[in-house]
Order: sequence, then structure tokens, then C-alpha cells
Amino acid sequence: MKKSSLVFIILFLTSFSLASAQGNRIRNVFFDTLRTGNIQPTPIGVDKMKYIGNQYITAQDSTLMRYITAVVRYDIDFYADFELIPVDSFFLTMYQITDLDLLSWLRLGADIVVKLEAEFPGQNIRARWRLYDTARRQQIAKGKITENKNNWRILGHRISNEIVHTLTGSRGIFLTKIVYVKKLGKAKELFLADYDGANERQLTANGSLNLSPCFAPKKDEIYFTSYMNGNPQLYKVNIDSKVIKQVASYPGIIAAPAVSPDGEEIACVLSKDGNSEIYVLNLKGEIVKRLTRNRAIDTAPTWSPDGRMIAFTSDRSGTPQIYLMNSDGLNVKRLTFQGNYNDSPIWSSRGDRITFVSRTKSGRFDLASIDTSGYDYRILTEVGMNENPHFSPDGKHIIFSSTRLGPRDIYTMDVSGRNQRRITHSGNCSNPNWGPIK
Amino acid sequence: MIKKVGFVAFFGILLFFVMLLTSCGHKQEIAPETPAIDTTTHPVDTTPPPPPPPPPPPPKLQESQLETIHFDFDKYNLRPDAKAGLDHNYQLLKKFPNVIIKIEGHCDERGTVEYNLSLGEKRAKAAQDYLIDMGISPNRISIISYGKERPIDPGHNEAAWAKNRRCEFRIISQ
Repeated sequence: MKKSSLVFIILFLTSFSLASAQGNRIRNVFFDTLRTGNIQPTPIGVDKMKYIGNQYITAQDSTLMRYITAVVRYDIDFYADFELIPVDSFFLTMYQITDLDLLSWLRLGADIVVKLEAEFPGQNIRARWRLYDTARRQQIAKGKITENKNNWRILGHRISNEIVHTLTGSRGIFLTKIVYVKKLGKAKELFLADYDGANERQLTANGSLNLSPCFAPKKDEIYFTSYMNGNPQLYKVNIDSKVIKQVASYPGIIAAPAVSPDGEEIACVLSKDGNSEIYVLNLKGEIVKRLTRNRAIDTAPTWSPDGRMIAFTSDRSGTPQIYLMNSDGLNVKRLTFQGNYNDSPIWSSRGDRITFVSRTKSGRFDLASIDTSGYDYRILTEVGMNENPHFSPDGKHIIFSSTRLGPRDIYTMDVSGRNQRRITHSGNCSNPNWGPIK
Repeated sequence: MIKKVGFVAFFGILLFFVMLLTSCGHKQEIAPETPAIDTTTHPVDTTPPPPPPPPPPPPKLQESQLETIHFDFDKYNLRPDAKAGLDHNYQLLKKFPNVIIKIEGHCDERGTVEYNLSLGEKRAKAAQDYLIDMGISPNRISIISYGKERPIDPGHNEAAWAKNRRCEFRIISQ
């Protein structure tokens, strides 16, 4: 009885969301994903950038235009709400097409077409972007951005951000940063990179173990656990100056830091009581509250988007499972009952789902997702050992590490599990975290 | 006449070279005697033991004498073989009352970094508690967890994992 009414509600929501999505033409990933399990991204074509100046273009500038086109195409293809229509150069040559008009794009399947133009005044690039609706054959938006030639990558990401904002109303994530841990010999150091893995740079170089990095939501700081002074303790590093400061020091371990959504508190694990317990610290490292009192392992705290609840892992039942509690430690409730290993929870940005690592029947560690009511358990990955999921700041993508191709590297996917991509290629990369939109 | 002198000179030179060679040969025979120098140093090493007072200081506990103990997957309870290993280590700690040790808890690569950090600590704590219960002073045993960060076998199979789920005993001072 209960189940059938739930199914009915889901069906009702689904039909409603599909109807509203069609009315809008631009579909929002949150309606389609996980509710229906079957996402319908908007197909978008990105035409190659054209020179509109009145002089001959240099080879260097022409290369820059190719690069910027590639950046915008990657971004659009990456974004959960969109799907890039590939341009088949063979097809174009066959039919001697030099310029795709809107009708051709429509035939290729594009709902929206992005056209890019550039001029090169001095050392700058002045780019124009225009969005066209192929069905109505009309321009729906346009914009202009200027950047130094050295910042061509930033220029491309800025164009993509504006396109996303125009079409979906949400802020683009293409200028965000990611942090991850890379193994160098016996040491594990923190590395920072653009969201797409470009511009990688090393943040720590202390030759020790540096683990579990977590971005502060409002400052350019990353909190992490480090063995640099022997025991695993809590530190923070400034991503511009690379200056490292110790935040807290307690007997035993300090692990799994998670900064609260308002940036004022840190949930983490202290073992000073002889056992891993979850505590909340302030930014000075002082204890604000102890949240768990249990002889079992309690670890991996994660905040709900409104900061009122915390999900965590505990083996109090005999195996690691996900639990929920209020952020004052009261009202503890077990969430997962599937299998014998569920760990590393993260809370979706809408607050309705928890994504986590689940040991599935094959013995693999996969990413799975469950409603906070405890219903609707879904497995999102199906190859390799997958670990340490974290959301993008817009909540539409998930970053994680995986061994699916042999070496452990960083991957991303949409919240639905679609569109899985490899971000690092060096191997020995783990423990990613995604920085805020600035 | 000159030919004769030449002959004599030739033989003289030949003789000289032969002597030189033989002398070299002698030197080569001496060369193997260098170990003799070693044997002289060895006596120096062994001389300290002869004096009667040293009996307490000389025998030192080697880290390799302390047994590494192993665990089951996702478990921190002590198996019978782990208890036997701890009993062995207990005897050594009793025999060397000045030894201070650190127990390192380790895990296999499965599971997350954070969970394994806590699990490794639980394992080290279990070993520490066992030794304290046996009568070793808590001041002599500290613990640290390396989670899954320091495997001894980099393999991805049960044999490697079984080796990596362990507690190692490090001597801090003695």
C-alpha cells in the first residue's frame, strides 16, 4: 500500500517535471535526474570561433581561436544539462559545407547553437558569443568578453559560464578549482587544478602524508589532515600563498574535516577519547561540541546544505553504515541497510539525497545514491574501485577517484551517473574535493 | 765483444724484470692478508663484552624480534594468532623493561581513507590494550594509525591485503 502510493507520487512528479521541462525547452538536470533516472540534456552545437577583424589574422591568433573553441566545447559537453552535438568534419567536407547554417544545425540535432567571434586588439582577445534557437531560427542572447591573450583558457570558461547562466539560470562552474592528493614516492601531497584538470600545481611539499582536503566555502583555504609533525593533525593551506597553518592539535588522530556550509565550523573526527568520535570545531580549532558517544568507529561527517544535519559513517551495527543526525548530535537514525559496507557520504545540494561509497555484491566499491528517507538505493558506477565522492558547488556533478583503468585517477560524472570523465592521467591520484564558485 | 756485453746486459735486464715480477707476486700474496686487519678490529668489538659488568646493557632488543600481528577484513578484534604474537612481544617487553614502543595500525587498500584511518587506530588500540592488560605500563606504548597509506605489499589481491592488515611494533627508545 505504502509502496504503491510512493510509486504514484514519483510518477506524478515525473510527469509534472517532464511537462514543465518541455514547456521550458531548456531542461533542468534536477528534474530529470534520479527522479526519472533518465536525463534528457539539451543538445547544443558550438560553431568554431570566427575572426571578425579587418586585418589578416596571424597563425598564433588562429590557433588561439581553435583552442578557445575547444575549451567552450569541452565545457558544454561536460555540463550535466547539456549535450554537445559533435561536428563531423568528414560530413562537412563531403558536402563542401564551410559554414553550418541554423537549418543544418537543426538537422544535426541541435536545439541551441553557440556562435563565437573574435578580434585581437593589442595583446587582448575580444570575444563575442551569440546563442540561437534553431527551431525558431532566431538569436536568443549575446555577450562580449575581453581577456588577455595569455588567459585564453579563462576566456573560454567565462563564455561557457555565461551560456550556462543564460540557458539555465544557475551559475557556471567552469572557473572553479579542484584539489586532490597525489602519491609521490612514499609521500602524499596536495595538488590544485582547474575543474577540468588543467593548470595542475602542487600545494604542499612536506614529504609526509597529506590527506582528506576540504575547501572552505568562502575563503581560498583548504583544510586537510597531515602527518607533517608525526601524528595526523588538522592543518589549512592558502591556495594562493601556499602558506600552511596548523588549525588544531589533539592527542590521537584528527581526520575527515568537513567545513560547514556557512564556513564557520568544521566537523571532524578526533580520537582523543581513545576511539574515533565526531566533533565540531570552530575555525580556531577549539571544540564547540562532541556529537557522537559510541565505542564503535564514527567518521566521515558531511553537512546537509542547510547545515542543520550531519550524515556520517559508523560501524556500531557491526559493519560500516551511513547514519543521519541533527548537527547537535541528537536524533541519530540509520540510513543504509544495503550490503555490509557503506561509507563516505555526501549530501546533495538540494538536500534530498545522499551519495556514498557502497561495497556491491561483486566486492567492488561503487558510488551509490539513496533518498534521505532511506528509499530508492541506486548504484551509479560499475567498474573499478570508486571512492571519495564530492559534489561540484552547483550540485550537478560528482568528483571521485577510481581505479577503473588501472591506476587510481580522478573522475567526474553527472549526479545521475551519466557522462563519466577522466580528469587526471598521471595515476596515484585520490581524495578529490571541489572548490566553491567565486 | 760488444755482442757479449749486449748479451750480459740483456740477461741483466731480464733478471731485473723477473725479480720485479716475483716481488709483485709477493705483494699480491700479502694483499689477502688485509682481512687480518679486520680480525684485529673484531677483537676490539668483542673486547667490550669480556669485561664482566656489561651483562645488562649489551643484549639489545631488535625491532625484527617483535612480531607483526594481522587482522581480518574490516575487523579490529584480536585473532588467536595475533594474541600469540602479542604474547611473544609481551615476553620481550618484560625482558627489556627500558624499551618504549609505538604500535602502528595499518589497513588494506579497500574502503575509504577516512574510515581506514579510524580502523587502523582501533587495531593499534586493541594491541595496546592487550599489552597493558598483560601488565606493561601504558607509558611504554604509544599508538599511531596510518590507515591504508603504508601497505607493505602493493598487490590488489587477498594475499596482499592479508599482509597489509597489520600492527607493526616500532622501538622508540631503549
